[in-house]
Amino acid sequence: MSQSLRPYLQAVRSSLTAALTISNFASQTSERHNCPEVEANSSPEILLNPLHISRNENEKVLIEPSYNSVRLSIRIKQADEIEHILVHKFTRFLTQRAESFFILRRKPVEGYDISFLITNFHTEKMLTHKLIDFVIEFMEEVDKEISEMKLFLNARARFVAESFLTPFD
Amino acid sequence: MLLLDYQNALIQSLLTERFSGATPVSIDQVVSDFDGVTFHLSTPESKTKILISINVKCYKELVQYGAQEVLEREYGPYIVSPEPGYDFSVQIDLENLPAEEEARNDLIMKLALLKRNAMAAPFERAFDEFNKLAEEASRYTSESAPQGIKEGGEVMAIHYREEEAIYIKANWDRVTVIFSTVFREETDRIFGKVFLQEFVDARRRVLTLQNAPQVLFRNDPPLELAGVPGLSATEGEVSYVTFVLFPRHLTPQRRYENISHIQTFRDYFHYHIKASKAYIHTRMRKRTADFLQVLNRARPENEERERKTASGRTFRVQA
Amino acid sequence: MASQTPAVVMDNGTGYSKLGFAGNDSPSFVFPTAIATKAGAGSAGSSGGRPPVANKPSFLGAGGGSSNLAAKRGTEDLDFFIGDEALAAGSGPGYGVNYPIRHGQIENWDHMERFWSNSIFKYLRVEPEDHYFLLTEPPLNPPENRENTAEIMFESFNCAGLYIAVQAVLALAASWTSSKVTDRSLTGTVIDSGDGVTHVIPVAEGYVIGSSIKSIPIAGRDITYFVQSLLRDRGEPDSSLKTAEKVKEEYCYVSPDIVKEFARYDREPDRFLKHTVTAPNGRSINIDIGYERFLAPEIFFNPEIYSSDFLTPLPNVVDGVIQSSPIDVRRGLYKNIVLSGGSTLYKDFGRRLQRDIRHLVDARIRASEARSGGARSGGLDVAVVTHKRQRHGPWFGGSLLGQTPEFRSYCHTKAEYDEIGPSIVRRFALLGGPGSS
Repeated sequence: MSQSLRPYLQAVRSSLTAALTISNFASQTSERHNCPEVEANSSPEILLNPLHISRNENEKVLIEPSYNSVRLSIRIKQADEIEHILVHKFTRFLTQRAESFFILRRKPVEGYDISFLITNFHTEKMLTHKLIDFVIEFMEEVDKEISEMKLFLNARARFVAESFLTPFD
Repeated sequence: MLLLDYQNALIQSLLTERFSGATPVSIDQVVSDFDGVTFHLSTPESKTKILISINVKCYKELVQYGAQEVLEREYGPYIVSPEPGYDFSVQIDLENLPAEEEARNDLIMKLALLKRNAMAAPFERAFDEFNKLAEEASRYTSESAPQGIKEGGEVMAIHYREEEAIYIKANWDRVTVIFSTVFREETDRIFGKVFLQEFVDARRRVLTLQNAPQVLFRNDPPLELAGVPGLSATEGEVSYVTFVLFPRHLTPQRRYENISHIQTFRDYFHYHIKASKAYIHTRMRKRTADFLQVLNRARPENEERERKTASGRTFRVQA
Repeated sequence: MASQTPAVVMDNGTGYSKLGFAGNDSPSFVFPTAIATKAGAGSAGSSGGRPPVANKPSFLGAGGGSSNLAAKRGTEDLDFFIGDEALAAGSGPGYGVNYPIRHGQIENWDHMERFWSNSIFKYLRVEPEDHYFLLTEPPLNPPENRENTAEIMFESFNCAGLYIAVQAVLALAASWTSSKVTDRSLTGTVIDSGDGVTHVIPVAEGYVIGSSIKSIPIAGRDITYFVQSLLRDRGEPDSSLKTAEKVKEEYCYVSPDIVKEFARYDREPDRFLKHTVTAPNGRSINIDIGYERFLAPEIFFNPEIYSSDFLTPLPNVVDGVIQSSPIDVRRGLYKNIVLSGGSTLYKDFGRRLQRDIRHLVDARIRASEARSGGARSGGLDVAVVTHKRQRHGPWFGGSLLGQTPEFRSYCHTKAEYDEIGPSIVRRFALLGGPGSS
């Protein structure tokens, strides 16, 4: 783990832990409704101040807390065109399976690659600290996966090119 | 599968079955091959006479470059007048096959290579032209060579796909084959770029490939194509991949193989882009499963289940 | 781009895959839906069928990028065979054979993706960007599977357009070639009998009535076993499975009545046949063929002669399926019973089935007439459709529909997929349904 990654993840972990103190809250505007306030955005008093954590201009996290839900958006590192397309493919692949991921938002917040929406119902049913573990592990693994895929692509390209050129000889 | 076959698998398997002495049946199949080539296999007259017709998009151009002669050389006695809607037809009489097993197999292979042979004409012409130019050039030193020899032959253009073409040009010391490629998909374009870069670098990097053709790759028409009409004016969308074949690739011994091989470039290239995407899908599936596992750790393990006695009674909590 | 190219029709079944181009009367390739992969790579192959990447999880060594590089150069994912080559490779060392489709549904997407890749590039030899694709799915295929299929076809292969049709519906379409069929309807009962299992599927107006589908555990393989056991009982010199299969395919037929048929065999000794088997070493063995000619397919109609746990004859199952369907389509279902699959090819199979079902129906009508006290029924038409394309019915139906000029307008294109996403394939307009020619 590189020097700046650990504090970055630590910062996300603490901020997220703090933000995830959420509790049930019925809608103020319509009776018998109960929706994630961070999405509904119906009244400013229920929303808390959003929080940016940046490692550099390419990698950042946006945490938007509210009374009963937290929205977490991640911008994954993408140094070049290849990484960009790989990130795009991977996040798309994941959101396609959002159904089984419970907390995954089907659409990322603008400017970010992937978003999670954690509501009080999630934290009631699941272990909060494990959820945070998941988010942190996700952030770690996703970077690794992307760079591995990139390595694979280069290795494969090399192999393919050599294999094609060999029979000429 | 790493390299693509040169021959058409269906023609091959179908003829192998027919040639092996199975009872003749009527055939009527339209089959596609890469690059919009269509075959029609049929038995119009009787069950023992198989007619194979081919339709190539750029047949007119190929004929200009001598396709007719090449095909006549390859299929001489079998050629019949082309079926309507197709460019070239051969007919095989099952009752009149070569007697030896080996000759039969050769015939099968030859027919399965129909597309390859049709496309080979401009390559062969360029190779011949190279031989001629090389011979002439050997009479001059490089400074005193007349302009015509220095410049080499004309550029032969084969528009084998709607948006893509192969250009072939012979010089006295090389034959240049240029593929223009278009990517309609963003992912493919980027993957393609990575692949092409490796094609370019492979020769420099790997010792054993020192003798391979030189590959160049650029986004604007290379110098060789200056003055060729019909080049796409839109910048950036079309890339050009140049293969420079050196005299050692053009020797009569290597000629046949190399022509077959270079023809498959585009499809090989696209096949591997797709295969990589398939592999990346595999990885993503695996990784997604891993993530799910991690997430599921967050779910409390043993939810309180109703406990039952052996006879099926349940416990009730006393209020 | 894809202006004149014929559509690619792929029917991937549990046992065999049928591949070819629309407009042809038979598939270009028929081979087992099997893929042979390197078995050496850990536990791949056996239970989970994990992809090769599973064996080198990156998180084991943090930052071990360079040491992994050599391993990643590995091209295990290109080292595989499909179809007959897979079976050949699997019998040797180093490869394990996997069947990516179980019970008609795709179980292992990694293997299936590579299976398709090889089907397209090695066998069919087409650039998927230039072609429209027609794939098939079993009845009751979950929509998620469709989405996964679309994801592969569009994202990996960039195919120009995609249509996914239900096999049973295509089998109905295939029956349009029969001279008996006049009204090209997509209502009918499909009896699809392959190697492993027999399904009876009611289809109304192109939509499968899922709740009424019934499966029978008797199919081609069981007939082969039954023939084999008969040969063994008689002590024939050769009773291998292969011989039994040959006997089944070449000599079997369906008799109208087995008791009478036994008597006929006694009267006409020329009904007993001889079959010559050529052993691999060149020796040829003669075996006698007798009652199994009509007894083997009889297990569809009298299962008790073969099985002890499944005892409902096929005609009763069909009748039950139709009776459990909505009442307003039953007439159409009785009128158009379509056969599909290799195990329905026996001579007079359709005729016997039709007769038996009609007996059941007539008996019921008479009983209700008697109960009603004098009311007359208008009668009910039962017709079993036999046609020439039965063996590859779903594929042929696909070929038939894939060549129609309006086929492409029914497909979802790559552009539409990019716009909307995989959920687009949850709905397809009904191809060949009302309104189309």
